[in-house]
Amino acid sequence: MVDKIKVENLSCYYNKKCVLEVPYINVVQNEILSIIGPANSGKTTFLRTLNRMNDLDITYSRKGEVYLDGKNIFDMNMENLRKRVGMLFAMPIPLPMSIYENIVYAPKHLGLVTRKSDQDVIVEQALKGASLWNEIKDRLNTSAMKMSGGQQQRLCIARILAINPEVILFDEPCSGLDPISTAKVEESMIELKQKYTIILVTNNVKQASRVGDRTAFFLMGKLVEIDKTDKLFVTPQKKETEDYITGRFG
Amino acid sequence: MIKFNPKLSQKLSYLLLCVAASLAIVPVLVIMFIIIKNGASAISWEFLTSMPKSGMRKGGILPAILGTLSIVSCAVAITLPIGVCAAIYLNEYAKNNLLTRIIKLAIVNLAGVPSVVYGLFGLGIFVTLLKLGVSIIAGALTLSIMELPVIITTSREALNSVPYSFREASLSLGVSRWQTIRHIVLPNALPGILTGAILSIARISGETAPILLTAAAFYVPHLPHSILDQVMALPYHLYIISTQIPNMPENVVYGTALVLLMIVLTMSCIAIVARIYFRKRRKW
Repeated sequence: MVDKIKVENLSCYYNKKCVLEVPYINVVQNEILSIIGPANSGKTTFLRTLNRMNDLDITYSRKGEVYLDGKNIFDMNMENLRKRVGMLFAMPIPLPMSIYENIVYAPKHLGLVTRKSDQDVIVEQALKGASLWNEIKDRLNTSAMKMSGGQQQRLCIARILAINPEVILFDEPCSGLDPISTAKVEESMIELKQKYTIILVTNNVKQASRVGDRTAFFLMGKLVEIDKTDKLFVTPQKKETEDYITGRFG
Repeated sequence: MIKFNPKLSQKLSYLLLCVAASLAIVPVLVIMFIIIKNGASAISWEFLTSMPKSGMRKGGILPAILGTLSIVSCAVAITLPIGVCAAIYLNEYAKNNLLTRIIKLAIVNLAGVPSVVYGLFGLGIFVTLLKLGVSIIAGALTLSIMELPVIITTSREALNSVPYSFREASLSLGVSRWQTIRHIVLPNALPGILTGAILSIARISGETAPILLTAAAFYVPHLPHSILDQVMALPYHLYIISTQIPNMPENVVYGTALVLLMIVLTMSCIAIVARIYFRKRRKW
């Protein structure tokens, strides 16, 4: 059991107001860590700190350390970090180009592929990895904007797989999807676990219990409890956790 | 106090507002009608392609047309790259600090300067100080400074219209900020930038005051050879033949106005068509 990510004494601020305090969290290699909690509890802030997307927000500031494979991510080059730590947003955001171009976009500009035949291979592998290949293999050159919401979200997963990251962050990836698309996305997450380390932020407590190896509960910007998913859902240690997962508040 | 019937007052106010809006059409139609009616008879192939004769009273206006086109194209070649780069910096990179605020303030103020002041400025800086003389390049530099705030503003609007989420998606894949701008933001903002550029060409084609002192000549007996030449320009030529030359045939004056108007309107039409075309092709 190797720690892929280790977070120490992290506090995050917007306009100098503290929104998140995490004394310690580790993420083990090849596990799915689910993060649950009501709105405004700092889940997304936590996620966007891990690949430094929040550094784009000028009102944001932070203290503390995050380590990826033992190296402090705040000392790393941002582009390299984001290549290693991919992120899936709540709303699917296909880029305004064809399905094929969407997938080769990042590998091409990161200099991972140059030859057309290599690109074809990457597209096929990525789409298969996101269980989308069979549905759309005949229309790779149509606009990605014309796909359904669930397909778009899986395309975004494929786009991340194409750059072969080590960690994938899912930020409420199913909040806009119907139950069947949700099931497909969850299915691919469990498959992806073999190769990647996954952190899943979700509003859906049941989703956390279905896919998470471990689950963390955030409340009002504080980490309340983190434990094996079975344990946290069956015998939560804190009263707030129990109230939240049984639906007694929020 | 008289109480109005609510239905009647609704109708009255509707009528009033509608008339106010429609008034905007009237000057356009009247101007077009008068110019075309009086000037159409002067337009001929010879009028467009030959030199003026007998003290501008006969012959054509070719040097003025070419002069205007060369000044305007030089001005756009200067102002467009600078303006677009400035817009990219302000929109994509600039932090909200003192420098940014000063730049923005300067742009707003630049847009508010009267055009004759630009003319005097160009005369002082480009013509006299930099010794460019009264020339195409001096006029083009003057016009490009005048047009810079407009190009920056329209380009920024075009960049802003590209959804922020596209940038986020691209950055989250490890693609650098410049590559994101180059491959995602710019291609999607290009239609808006181009439309803004074409409209500003239309606008500066008709400007008189800035070129009056920096580029335009009363009469040049040959076509422009280099960017250091003085040239005739349509708006200035129009001013001269309508005020300075006695016994000027009226249809030549109106004909010249018609040519200028047509150049400007053609540019605007191209901009509108381009906008419709790009909007249809847009994928989001």
